[in-house]
Amino acid sequence: MRIPILRNASAKTPSADRSDRNPDLRVGIPRILNQWSTPRFWTAFFEELGVKRRNVVYSSATSDAQQKQYSQGRGAVDCCYPVKCISGHYGELLTGLKKPVDVLFSPKVVSLRSFLGSHVVDCLGCPRVMAGPESARGGFVREGDSFAASGVRYVSPVVNMSEPMLLARQLTKALEPVFPGLSHDETLRAIEMGWREQDDFDAESREVAHEVLERCERESRPAILALGRPYHMDPGIGHEIENELQACGYPVIWGQHLPLDTQLLDRLFGKDIRDGSLASHFDISDVWKSSYSANTNELIWAARFGARHPAIAAAVRFSSYECGMDQPTYTPVQKILEARGTLFFSFQDLDATKPSGSVRIRTETISYYLERHSKRIMDRKRALLSGDAEKVRVLSESDE
Amino acid sequence: MSIVSQKDYQAYKPRGFTTSDKEKVTLLFGGLTWRAERLLEGVFHGSGYHARALPQATKADLLRGRELADVGQCCPTAFTAGNLVNFLLDESKARGSQDVMDSYAYLTAGSCGSCRFGQYHQSYELALSNLGLDAFRLFFMDQTNPDGAQEGGGLDLSPALLSKAVLGIMAADVIQDVEYQLRPYELEAGATDRASQLAVEELYQACQDAKVPANTLGVAAWTLHSKGIMRALCRARRHFDAVAVDRLQVKPKVKITGEFYLQTVEGDPNYNIHSWLEKEGAEVYPAPVVIWLDYLLRFNSQYWEDRPYLPRARFNLAALRLASKALLWKYDQMRRAMNGLPHRVPRQHDLRDLAAPYFDGRLSGGEGDMLIGKAIWAHTRNKAHMIAELSPYGCMPNTMSIGAMAAVQGAHPDMLWAALEVKGDSEIHALSRCQMLLTEAKSRAAEEFDRALHASGLTLSEAKARAAETRQPVVRSLPSRGASGTAANLVLDLGGAEL
Repeated sequence: MRIPILRNASAKTPSADRSDRNPDLRVGIPRILNQWSTPRFWTAFFEELGVKRRNVVYSSATSDAQQKQYSQGRGAVDCCYPVKCISGHYGELLTGLKKPVDVLFSPKVVSLRSFLGSHVVDCLGCPRVMAGPESARGGFVREGDSFAASGVRYVSPVVNMSEPMLLARQLTKALEPVFPGLSHDETLRAIEMGWREQDDFDAESREVAHEVLERCERESRPAILALGRPYHMDPGIGHEIENELQACGYPVIWGQHLPLDTQLLDRLFGKDIRDGSLASHFDISDVWKSSYSANTNELIWAARFGARHPAIAAAVRFSSYECGMDQPTYTPVQKILEARGTLFFSFQDLDATKPSGSVRIRTETISYYLERHSKRIMDRKRALLSGDAEKVRVLSESDE
Repeated sequence: MSIVSQKDYQAYKPRGFTTSDKEKVTLLFGGLTWRAERLLEGVFHGSGYHARALPQATKADLLRGRELADVGQCCPTAFTAGNLVNFLLDESKARGSQDVMDSYAYLTAGSCGSCRFGQYHQSYELALSNLGLDAFRLFFMDQTNPDGAQEGGGLDLSPALLSKAVLGIMAADVIQDVEYQLRPYELEAGATDRASQLAVEELYQACQDAKVPANTLGVAAWTLHSKGIMRALCRARRHFDAVAVDRLQVKPKVKITGEFYLQTVEGDPNYNIHSWLEKEGAEVYPAPVVIWLDYLLRFNSQYWEDRPYLPRARFNLAALRLASKALLWKYDQMRRAMNGLPHRVPRQHDLRDLAAPYFDGRLSGGEGDMLIGKAIWAHTRNKAHMIAELSPYGCMPNTMSIGAMAAVQGAHPDMLWAALEVKGDSEIHALSRCQMLLTEAKSRAAEEFDRALHASGLTLSEAKARAAETRQPVVRSLPSRGASGTAANLVLDLGGAEL
């Protein structure tokens, strides 16, 4: 689904005078937090401003080695690992690249764009995600300005990604010193290009997920829904648990990539819309009142999707140690899924250490349950969707 | 193996609060100081509601909260959820669960992000559900858009009621401020506490008796005038004037900052830090709630500042700025009723500018840039010798401010800033850390006092004699002559000097 944002921005844009700009400018972006759901936006955005694509450089995925080498002595607080590890990414971009960057760009993401946008209260980021760059920066300037020492300009604007007009104002103001003569219209056009590329990627991911789910349902093969924050796709934070599950032969689909195809959504939610219990396919107000956090909202919606889709026999929840946004959602997410018989498992309190042994035991357990129960779960979910109460009763009794 | 339920999961939805409920249901609330809670009781009683503040939260409440809600809560959630649940459990033992669910409802502030404060209700609901009290009613007042009737029509948080509540909270701030400036210097132990009790009862009566017109203009006019409350403040001042004090005792001044709940309450949730500091020989500079109210207005103003292209942006911005000015004007009026003794509230633009190099004022969640702004303000403007920042375990925005403080400490290496992580059950660690910095603060206060004596050309006994001669009232504006400590400023004032 493409979300319309700025119409005709490019049509109004005069060609900017770029003669004062460095044609070989290199922009470093830490691969952290919401960069896992918006990287194509930023790459295309900077490319549109004249930065060569190969000069938009991301830090590597989080790893023990990265953290040990680059964040020692920089961290100032004890908080969730995804935020704590920002320091390692900053350090790598400052001192760990063969070819140094000119700018370290680390946006403070106040709000995100979401397909649930008009159906929820707000699309805010988590407060630690918003302010994480301020906290990490503190460790790099406390005993002298490490950015200046590395010859790197630190640019860290507050960005409201859910509001294009405001986003353009914020980015123009923050980036004008880097791109002399940068105009509001030029930024608007770059934003449009950014979202276009991100949307194309998202649409492709959702299309692949759709095909996988269709195939699973057709062949009565169980799929697993991975529920987490975007950064749980980072191998150093999610510890590649989804790969372990995939290695057991189960397709794993991240909640962020679920299909938004109207026909499919109508099959899953149409009855509730018709009887008035839901206002739309994307309404979550009956299960989640405080719908102001973008990633939480999408996670709740994905749980509801997973609870209803017949091919999804199990859901696996990922959550990092001390995640304040996840904490209030543990019970609702589990209850949403289990109400329709979907198996629910969780890996909570994920931290720097990869718990390989326990992950293996848990994946074997998940695999065992799926082998044993997935057919009945899928049949029952299909019966629930088609309104076949008798079949649901029979299948539920056979469980007991 | 999961079991299929007959119904999809539904979020908690409380029964409505009807007009007949108003006669028989007691509204519970909490999370503020005993002074503010008593005055809010007066506000509700005067508006025809039965209302009662919950008892001060204890460690037993913390454990209960942790036991019954999802793991990983921040410390204030565990304290407040456990506090409510323990109260209801005790009542249930005496009256039965059904009677408790019918006789009480809980009213609390909510928010629309970004921190999980707006999701606290999930923990309350889960805790109550785990105890079989699902039918208990919780109502949330959105602090960014507080007015409006709740479902059922019986609970109407009208502008008139909210206006009284805001004034009650501000009056409680003023009383608290005076109390904390007298108690460390009182000559008879307990005299200040007794005066404070009497003062709060004067104000309770005024809040209960206040008659506010229902229309908007009437509410605005009453809020600015509020004769009854202002008169009660003047009567309250007389109680404090009767407290004998010796302000020439040298004490370090400690500014309390931090997360809203922890910096506000006085009890187990913050290791009784206020009274502990006083026992250790400090003068505490408490955190008034009015700063938070002003911050909310400032933050909402910023919304419109950033979006001038939206309809009515200029009007809304002007209205919010005016509201902020009115709020501070009213608070200053209340300070004047106390002869100017309560501290002036730092201006939001000042705090924002001070914090700007370290923390963006547009970041929402918790106290935002205020923690940093207040710490720098207290340090650079000689408001305190030391800052005690109360940071709850698991608080998302607060940890980020503390991270940013690393840069502040780099720029102000002489700042005595104690970041105290409060888990509720590791008191000794937090207090011993605080004590280390307090020792240094005491030595700075003593050294500052010596400098003040030198600058004023007085000896201590001369200063005492001169202070006795002046016969000024106890509750009066204290001089600020470049020192942080009360005693040092007084000596400088007596000698007509500055530091």
